[in-house]
Amino acid sequence: MSLFFAKLWQALVSGLSIGSIYALIAEGYYITFVTTGALNFGQGEFLMIGALFGLTCYVTFGLPYAVAVIAAVLLTGVMGAALERGAIRPVMRHALSLSWVLSTVAVSIILKNAAVNLWGPEQIKFPSPFGEAVLQIGSAGIFPQELFIIVAALGTVFAVQMFLRRSLLGKALIAVAFNRNAAAVMGINVPRMVVFAFVLSSALAGLGGILIAPITFAWAYMGTVPGIKAFAAAIFGGLENPIGILIGGLVIGLLEQLLGMVNSNLKEGITFFFILIVLAIRPTGLMGRREITKV
Amino acid sequence: MQLPIFAFSGPKDWALVALAALILALLPVVFDDPFFILVMQSLAYLFIVTLGLDILVGWTGQISLGHAGLYAVGAYTTALASARLGLPFWLSAPLGVALAGLFGAALAVPSLRAKGPYLAMVTIAFGFMAEVTSNRWSLTGGPMGIMSIPPPTLPDGSEMTATQYFWLIAGVALLCHLLAANLFRSRMGRTLLALQGSEIAAQSVGVNVYRYKVLAFVISSVYAGIGGVFFAHQNGFINSDTFVFSLSVSLLTSALMGGSGTLFGPLVGSVILNLIPTVFASLHDYHLYIYGGIILVTIVFLPRGIVGSLQQMPALRRLRRPPAVITPDRSVLDFARDSAQDGPVLVVRGLAKSFGGIRALSGVDVAIKRGTVHGLIGPNGSGKSTFVNVVTGVFRASAGKIMLGERELPPQGPHRMAQHGITRTFQSIRLFVDLSVIDNVMVGFHLQLKSGLWAHLLQTRAAVAEEAAYRGKAMALLELVGIAERAHDPAQNLSYGQQRLLEIARALAARPQLLMLDEPAAGVNPTELHHLSRIIRDIKAAGVTLLVIEHHMELIMGISDVISVFDFGQKISEGSAAAVREDKKVIEAYLGVAEADHDGAVHA
Repeated sequence: MSLFFAKLWQALVSGLSIGSIYALIAEGYYITFVTTGALNFGQGEFLMIGALFGLTCYVTFGLPYAVAVIAAVLLTGVMGAALERGAIRPVMRHALSLSWVLSTVAVSIILKNAAVNLWGPEQIKFPSPFGEAVLQIGSAGIFPQELFIIVAALGTVFAVQMFLRRSLLGKALIAVAFNRNAAAVMGINVPRMVVFAFVLSSALAGLGGILIAPITFAWAYMGTVPGIKAFAAAIFGGLENPIGILIGGLVIGLLEQLLGMVNSNLKEGITFFFILIVLAIRPTGLMGRREITKV
Repeated sequence: MQLPIFAFSGPKDWALVALAALILALLPVVFDDPFFILVMQSLAYLFIVTLGLDILVGWTGQISLGHAGLYAVGAYTTALASARLGLPFWLSAPLGVALAGLFGAALAVPSLRAKGPYLAMVTIAFGFMAEVTSNRWSLTGGPMGIMSIPPPTLPDGSEMTATQYFWLIAGVALLCHLLAANLFRSRMGRTLLALQGSEIAAQSVGVNVYRYKVLAFVISSVYAGIGGVFFAHQNGFINSDTFVFSLSVSLLTSALMGGSGTLFGPLVGSVILNLIPTVFASLHDYHLYIYGGIILVTIVFLPRGIVGSLQQMPALRRLRRPPAVITPDRSVLDFARDSAQDGPVLVVRGLAKSFGGIRALSGVDVAIKRGTVHGLIGPNGSGKSTFVNVVTGVFRASAGKIMLGERELPPQGPHRMAQHGITRTFQSIRLFVDLSVIDNVMVGFHLQLKSGLWAHLLQTRAAVAEEAAYRGKAMALLELVGIAERAHDPAQNLSYGQQRLLEIARALAARPQLLMLDEPAAGVNPTELHHLSRIIRDIKAAGVTLLVIEHHMELIMGISDVISVFDFGQKISEGSAAAVREDKKVIEAYLGVAEADHDGAVHA
C-alpha cells in the first residue's frame, strides 16, 4: 500500500512539473493568439533550442545556471522576433486563414535540422543545478529539479499575467488583443506589439526548455511532443482564457502521469483522446468563450 | 478559390482523359527500370492521398494535420487482413478503404463545430493517436511492424508484376481524379464552396451543413485509405515509423503547394514534393533544411500554390472557356401562384428571446397574411432582426409558438425552416464569395435539385440535364432582380446594392412561401432603391408573401400592406401605413416624448 502511495506522490509531483511546463508553453500560444490570431506551431522547437543553447552555456562554457537561463530566454526571444517577421507577418494577409500553421511548422523543421547539425542527433544529459540526489519526502522520492520546475514555471505564468494586467506595456498588448484598430487609434504601435507578443511567447518556450532538460534529456527531437501537448492544453482551456490554459496544462500533466502508473501505453495516447472528447462536446475548449454568431 | 481551367464536359475532354491513360500505360513500358516504376507507384498513390486532402482543404476550407492517421488505417487494415487473416488482396484492399472511410466519419463529429486552431487540434489529436497506436499496440507490431504482407494479386490469384501494379494504382488515381473533378464542378462542389463563404446563408436555403462536412471528411478519408492500401502492398512491410506527424505535414504541404481547390494542384504538388527526397538523397544532412525551406517559400510567396498562381496569369486566364449562353426559364416563380389562398402564412404567438439577461424579444404576436407585404419597423435594437433570426431558426426561441398556417413548428435549425418555405436575406450581406453570381443562385435551388452523390460523381445524363434546366431558372431570377448581365462575374465584384439583390434572387430560388428581407435598402443608392421597390412588388405579384424589415420609411410605407412596429422587444403598433404613421406610441418610440424634445428638432 505504501508503495502505491509513494508512486502516487511521485506521479502527482511529476504531473505537476510537466503540467506546469505545458502551461508555460501554452501561455505563449495564448499571448500570440489573442494579439494576432496566429500561434507558433514550432513552439516545441523553441523549447528545444532553449534547452540545447542552455546546455552549451551551462556545461560547455561553465556559466552559472541562472546566466544560462537568461541566455536561453534572450536567444529564443530574438528568434521569436525573427519568426514573426519571416513566417507570420508575410502570411497573415493570405486567403487561406491557416497559412501560419504550415509556415511555423516549416521553421520548426529547419530548426530541427540546425539542431542536429550543431548538437548532433543524440540525447545529451543536462545536469541539474540542484544535483541528482533524490529527495525523500515520506516514502516518495522526488527530484529537486521537479519542484524547481513547478515553482519557476508557475511563478513565470503568474508574473506574465501580472505584467499583462498591470504594466503599461502589458496593457498595450492586451489592448491590441482586444481591438487592433482601436489600439492603433490610441497611439499604440500595433506591429511592434505583435513582434513583442512573439518575443514573449518564444522566450517562454525557451525558458520551458532549459527548465525541463534536466529531467528529460536535451536533444534535437525533444520539442515536438511537448509543443503539441501544450497546444492541447491551450485548446483544452480555451485559447483565449489564460486561467483555463493554466488549468489545462496541469490537468493534462497530471492525467498523463497518473495514467502512466497504470499503463505506460495509455500515457502517450490519453491526452489526444481526451482532447477529442472535449472538442466534440465544447468546440471552443472546456473553458473557452462560446461563440455567439451575430446575424 | 479558382474554378478549374479545364472542366470535363465534352468529347474533347474524354480525348484528354484517353491521352492521359495512354501516357500512364506507356510510362513503365518505355522506362522499364525497377526503381523508376517503384517511384512512379509511390507518386501515384501519394497523389490520391493529396487529392483527398485537397477535397477537405480546398473545398471546405478545413485543414487536416492528421491525414497520416487515415492513411495508416487503410495500410494496417489491409496488412492485417491479408498477412494475418489470409484474405486475398481484392478483399483486404476494399476493407482497408472502407475502414478509413468509417474513421473519417467518426473524425467528422468533433470537427463539425470546431474552427481554426481548434479544428487543427482535432486532426492533430487524431494523427497522434494513430501514431501512438501503431507504435504501442501489439496488433500493429510497433516499430517491428507487420512483415510479409502479400504482394497484390491478379484476379486469377497470380502475383502482379511491378508494372501491372503501377497500372492498377495509376488507373485508380486517374479514376479518383475524374470523380473529384466531376464532384468539384457539380452541385456538391458548389455547395461545399458555398459553405466556405457562409454557413448560415447556405443553411438559409436548406443546406444541411453537417451532412456536407461529414461527406467531405468521408471522401477525403476514403482517398487517404486507398493510398494507405497501395502503400502497404507495395512495400510488403509496414511499421510505425511511416505514420507520423511529419507525413501529415508533408501531405498538407503538397496540397497547398500545388494550389488547393484547383483541378491539377494536387497532382503538381504531390509529384514535386514527393520527388524531393529522391532528388536530394545525397544531401541527407541538409534535407530538412531543403524541405522546410520549400514549405516556407511556398507558403510565403505562392499562397495560391503553383497551379493557382498560374491560373492568375492573364495569358492563361484567356484560355478559360467563355461561359455558355443561358436562356432564362421564366416559369421559375410559378410555384407561388397556386398557393395564393387566404389566411395567414405565418402566425407567431408570444415569441420571446433572451440573450443572458437581455430580453431582445418579449412576447410578440404577429400574423402575416398570405400574399401581402408585411413591413416591420422600429428603432435600432427593437428586436426586428432577432425576430427574423428566431423565425428562420438561427436562434432558438426562449418562449412562444411559431405556426406555419395552422401547423405549429417545433424548434429546428435554419435548413429545416427553409424546407418549410421560410427563407431570408441578411442585414449584413452573406454571399458565397467564392462562387459566381449565377452559382450563388444555383445554391439556392439546393432543396429542389434531385440528383445525388453518385449521379454527380459519374456526371449522369440526368444530372447534367437537371443542372442545365436550373441554370435557366437561375438566369430568370437574376433577370427579375436586374443583374442578369453579371451572371458569370464573381459575386464579390458586384456593387453593394447588387449584392443585396443577389441575396433576394438566391432566397427566391429556394421557393419560399415567406421571404424575409432584413433591411434590403441599407446602403442602396436612390436609383437602386426605386428598382428595389419594383422588385418587391413583382415578387408579391408572383404570389410570394414578404416580410420586410426596413428603416427607409418612404420605401416601407410605399410597399407594405400591413406594418408592425417593434420597440424594446415588443410590438407597439400594427396597421396600415397611414394608421401606423399617426399612432402616438410610434411617434414616441421614434422621436421621444414631446416634452423631452426642447428645441423641437426631429431626431429620427
